[in-house]
Amino acid sequence: MASEVEETLKRIEGQRGVVGTVVCNADGIPIRSSLDGVATAQYARLLRKLTVMAKSAVRDIDPQNDLTFLRLRSQKCEIMVGLENEFLVIVIQNLHQ
Amino acid sequence: MLTCSVTVSYGSSSRALNGSISGLHQVNHSSRHTGSNVSRKGLSMAGDSRSTIQTPRQTVRVLNENGTDVTPQPISHPEPGAKHNRVYLDEFSGPSDILSMLYQPTTAASLTVPFSRSVFCSSKISRSSLSTIESVNEERVDTFYKQDNYPASYVQVEREEVKEQVTEDMLNEVVNIYLTETETITHLDMPGISVSVDADDAEAIKERNNRYAELCKNRMGNDKYMDRSMQAFIGASKSKQVQCDSIVMVDTACEATTWDMYDSFYGAEQDKTELTAEPEKSGYSESIVNSSRGPEKTTSLLSTTSIGNTTLEETGMCSDDAADPRLILQSEKFQKVLLVMERCILANIFQPKLAAYRQLPIVEDCDSVVTPETMEHREEDVERSLSPTLESLWVFSCELTKGRTISCMAWNKKNPDLLAVGYGEFDFRDQTPGLVCCWSLKNPTWPERVYHCNTGVTSLDFSAKHPYRLAVGMTDGTIAIYYVYSQDKTCAVSSSKCSKKHYSSTWQVKWAEQDMGLSGDDKEEALMSISADGRISKWFLHDDLDLKDKKKKGEILRSLNAGFCFDFHPVDSSIYLAGSIDGTIYKCSSSNSQQFLETYSQHFGPVTRIKWCPFNPNVFLSCSLDWTIKLWIQDQLTPLLCLTSTQKQVHDIMWSPKWATVFGAINEGQMKIWNLDYSTLDPVIVHMAAPGVKMTSLLFALQTDCVLVGDNSGQVTVYQIKNFTVGEGNQVDTLESIISSAVARL
Repeated sequence: MASEVEETLKRIEGQRGVVGTVVCNADGIPIRSSLDGVATAQYARLLRKLTVMAKSAVRDIDPQNDLTFLRLRSQKCEIMVGLENEFLVIVIQNLHQ
Repeated sequence: MLTCSVTVSYGSSSRALNGSISGLHQVNHSSRHTGSNVSRKGLSMAGDSRSTIQTPRQTVRVLNENGTDVTPQPISHPEPGAKHNRVYLDEFSGPSDILSMLYQPTTAASLTVPFSRSVFCSSKISRSSLSTIESVNEERVDTFYKQDNYPASYVQVEREEVKEQVTEDMLNEVVNIYLTETETITHLDMPGISVSVDADDAEAIKERNNRYAELCKNRMGNDKYMDRSMQAFIGASKSKQVQCDSIVMVDTACEATTWDMYDSFYGAEQDKTELTAEPEKSGYSESIVNSSRGPEKTTSLLSTTSIGNTTLEETGMCSDDAADPRLILQSEKFQKVLLVMERCILANIFQPKLAAYRQLPIVEDCDSVVTPETMEHREEDVERSLSPTLESLWVFSCELTKGRTISCMAWNKKNPDLLAVGYGEFDFRDQTPGLVCCWSLKNPTWPERVYHCNTGVTSLDFSAKHPYRLAVGMTDGTIAIYYVYSQDKTCAVSSSKCSKKHYSSTWQVKWAEQDMGLSGDDKEEALMSISADGRISKWFLHDDLDLKDKKKKGEILRSLNAGFCFDFHPVDSSIYLAGSIDGTIYKCSSSNSQQFLETYSQHFGPVTRIKWCPFNPNVFLSCSLDWTIKLWIQDQLTPLLCLTSTQKQVHDIMWSPKWATVFGAINEGQMKIWNLDYSTLDPVIVHMAAPGVKMTSLLFALQTDCVLVGDNSGQVTVYQIKNFTVGEGNQVDTLESIISSAVARL
């Protein structure tokens, strides 16, 4: 199982346009990252705040619902965040070559 | 309030006093100095009274500067008989004792002279009250004296504590206790201010009350009464400052959100259910090797409790740090999230292609940088697109499949986005193990499922009734069934152990509904296979694939003909066509396993594919290695049309699912789309393969205008058919007319 996870992560990191991936635990502490330390810390910190707010918004509307995925599309890139209770997966992808 | 102050003075030197002074009054140190400190000594004495002093008593002497003895003399001298009343501090065993001693009724004089002892009989005196007593004592300096210099005749009486044996009689004895008042001690007596009407002196009291009332009345304006003011003494005030510890102020805020309240209410219930489920699960997890699940479940349990309990934190996620990073990376949830993530990324990359596949309008990316070059390209594209052509959308391929030949492809019956591709070499000399990959449209870069097979794969089919079952036929004759819903890499069922399995290559497998039993209504799906050993077999799925021999072809077929392909009638599934290696096509029936219904022998080479027309149940197509494609009608033994375009072997044909007159064909280097309406001599679209690549397999997409082509380099290319105008509807009538005209011509 672990090797499949590794393979999938490597495939994701090798896809066209992907700048980097960050995996954080529930507190926003990066467990694994393909970016440098500064960028990792920045993405983890900022996106954690955003996901907490987004999750709060979703659950405020319906407490039985929960946030699973968040996509931020900007002019230059797209930030995708996959959420679970225990962790956070952040992938940044550039849109244009 | 009851306060007793009994002054205790005893003969002891100041030194002894100092040594034994409790920490309450630090001023004691100075009491060593002569002269000025009588009061202080008094204080120290007062303070002392609380502590038990065990030192021997010595006389205290006060000396002034000149050295004369100025110790104050006692006012009165102790009576020699007053024994009982001398109580020593260290023998006090409690305030009650003191009181009992004090109130000996015998000596009234005991209350005065020798009793200039002050005992602060309450042990509850606090520091502050002591300090006030201090200050009070300071004022009373003048009046205070101590009797230290008792003459030697002072009888030092020790109260002996005789331990008497307490006997039953003594316990039963009635003991009288008298409580009396002294000048300073009074009993609390609050006389009532109301008197009963029946009392004896009620009358007198009433009279008194009346008189008083009259008096008050008369007071107003009466000369007898004069108002007079007096000024009361105003005591000298003294301000005292107190400082307390600084008060620390802390701000806390709490935000109660809807989900927070929901979690607090229902989170507790969920925890209970999870907790009750936990012991069972933990039992299982011990026996299962995959023990990483256990801790993962507990961490998720902890997370729900902490969400329910944290109300002050603004986090929505658990703050449980116990989740090991390694566990996170291994958990199933992580895999799922990664799967979704990968698909999102690929959706971004392949978005225009997938949109074209799904026949959605392609949205221009408004953020993309538009250069003059791209503008030119777009204009060119617009001009070029007039003739029917195939546009390549994307390619299903990955490292695993590089260099392999694709032998077959099949769509899943339930999920139209799921494609199974079988990889196996046609060349018998090439014994590389085969591969089956299940691709999803959502991920063209990596298959969802990968199954490694022992030998090359020749044929695939998904079941219609149980869409998770994938039947695979292989070159060594085994048939395996995979269940694709699980991640399990091994095949669920295999025919390798069956005694009646095929001993030569299984060329085609197909799931077909077959009549079971005598009643015509029972339809069960059975797996049919045709193989090079000349048999068509019907398989049933029990624990292992078991064979019920459907048809044993007669000696003729067995010795001469190996079956290559077959197809079941779309309407009547008991009738099927089988093509053999010598070019003969047999029409057979499932119910009659001995004879053929028809024999069509017009091909000169092995028949590679037979396909019934999905729109017209009488028509079928066949292609063979003799370079021809033939269109037949069921009843006629000669084909209606014979189509040849190039002199190359035709490997695969398929009717278009959308138009009745359209079909596609593959020979080695080209893919052709024919439209019988357009021309029966030439194909409409001819698509050349890349140099060096041979196309081997063809599949039409079911709901769109796309066609998939597999080649021998391991790639499945998805093409979109562009500018293909066929006409309205599905052309069934057109096909009819073509056929009838062809029939007429014969």
